[in-house]
Amino acid sequence: MTRGFDREWQLDELLDAASQEKIGPALSALLGGDFALTDQAGKALWGQPSPEARREALILELEPVGYLLSSSATPAALSAARQLMQNLLRAQVRFKMASTLHLESVAEDFESLKREHARLSESEARYKALSGELEARVKKQVGELEERQQMLYEAEKLASVGQLAAGMAHEINNPLGFVRSNLTTFEKYLGKFGELKTHPGPLAEGWQALDLDFILEDGIDLLHDSAKGMERIARIVADLKAFSNVDRASQEYADLNNCLREAVSMVEARIPPGIQFRLDLLPLPGIVCLPGHINQLFFNVIRNAVLAIADSGRPGEVKISSEADETGIHIRIHDTGVGMTAEQIGHAFEPFYTTRPVGSGVGLGLATARNVVQAHSGRISLDSQPDAGTTVSLFFPTPP
Amino acid sequence: MPESDAQHLTFKLVYYGPAQSGKTTNLLRLHDLLAPELKGEVMTMETKDDRTLFFDLLPLGFRAPSGLLIKFRLFTVPGQVAHDGTRKAVLSRADGVVFVADADRAQETNNGESFQSLAANCARVGLDFEHLPMVVQFNKCDLPSAVPEAEIRERWSAAPWPLVFAIALTGQGVETSFELLIRTVYRNFCQKLKLQSEHGLSEDAFVAGALGKST
Repeated sequence: MTRGFDREWQLDELLDAASQEKIGPALSALLGGDFALTDQAGKALWGQPSPEARREALILELEPVGYLLSSSATPAALSAARQLMQNLLRAQVRFKMASTLHLESVAEDFESLKREHARLSESEARYKALSGELEARVKKQVGELEERQQMLYEAEKLASVGQLAAGMAHEINNPLGFVRSNLTTFEKYLGKFGELKTHPGPLAEGWQALDLDFILEDGIDLLHDSAKGMERIARIVADLKAFSNVDRASQEYADLNNCLREAVSMVEARIPPGIQFRLDLLPLPGIVCLPGHINQLFFNVIRNAVLAIADSGRPGEVKISSEADETGIHIRIHDTGVGMTAEQIGHAFEPFYTTRPVGSGVGLGLATARNVVQAHSGRISLDSQPDAGTTVSLFFPTPP
Repeated sequence: MPESDAQHLTFKLVYYGPAQSGKTTNLLRLHDLLAPELKGEVMTMETKDDRTLFFDLLPLGFRAPSGLLIKFRLFTVPGQVAHDGTRKAVLSRADGVVFVADADRAQETNNGESFQSLAANCARVGLDFEHLPMVVQFNKCDLPSAVPEAEIRERWSAAPWPLVFAIALTGQGVETSFELLIRTVYRNFCQKLKLQSEHGLSEDAFVAGALGKST
């Protein structure tokens, strides 16, 4: 049997002991002294049913829920008592059913509220997670934007420096050309002039008197010096051009290991003694790049490494390693040279910053290198200890 | 499943529908119209403005040839939207449902919402809505603003439930709705409860017993 509001209520549920205590004596008095109340099975709830008692059924719905018994009452009185009791019990059953139903519906409403609450909590948690995720994404994108902006700014700066350099190179090359050509011609002219010495005639005396031997010889030396100076200017101009040329070339599919080997062979041609190369190159995926610029980049970095060892005045080693992972290609170029101070590292990538004496370097090597790396969406970083050596780490992303 | 013991079998039948569609009126008319062997009083719990607050209950009963007392307890639910918890509690353990819709065109939305709540509440209280014995009654067909019968039949043509067009105030269609419902109830439970085989009750005898008249 269910315990719902719609169960069939038993007499003892409707009339508890306290109610029986009140009703029993009242009905006894009304019915002439003898009165008993039994449930539908005949079990006495109040009084002692006597065998010869008159019996009236108490019906709430269809069937008796109990009986009124009395041996002293008249049939009319017992029937009236039954009416009274039935009315009382009906009122009681209505109250019981209504209150039980009310409890059930409150429990049901509470259950739906709990379900609703659970649903809301879940959706709240979902929105919380979503908002956290969004915040992280916004943060990341802002970070990326800031980085891009910084890169753009740097690139813009370098581009304007590059433009200036390209313009200067072009402007200097023109006079450089004719000055060099003129110097060569002038040297020929001096040779011609020297023939005057052996030329028969009255000029020989004056030659001696004016010590033109020395002037001729020194003049040629001066011309050679000037020509060397011109060479130097030409080399600086060439460097400037290389620096300014970064984003103008055709792309190719290349193996960076090959570029590294080429750069090493170029540097090896003119290294001082006591410097060893060690190559530790693992297979790399090919990437689309500007091989000319990549070569220039590796050449610059490797030459720096060699010069750093030469500066230290002791034998040393340049170790070049490469490897690939799922994000891209990692290249490390390590030397055991003089190393750099923190301050030097801070300035290392600035164009025209150099620690070398005037005339031996323009200070564009690492600036060019960084330009090239950035043009390939890569990264370059320096790690160095004075007197211990320097490591240049390069990273080129590969498409996923 | 109806509640049963050796001598009793009780079917719980629920009149469900939107507010003021005539569920209580159905019960009151049935009380007047039917004359089964046993008929109790209608227990109503109306508030003073005639809105059902908890439920109404009409008990009916008759004895099968086998001596089994077959009882029907007809309940109405409160139609007002706010009483959904009560509706759910009254609906639970139902063996059959008469859905009393209001034929007034203005009540179409309320009918729809109430019908959906019936389906949802059936699922909540563990009743199989698909197989629950049910009759759909369109009450107040005599209203000038009532949706025409043809239109309603057209709209419900795909539904499996019998349609009854009623005027509960005059009693028209009230008995038919009840009869159609207990016929479905009989078919639904005849096998499981061995009504024919053990208790000697045919469908017609079952209906005749419940209505208190020969059909």
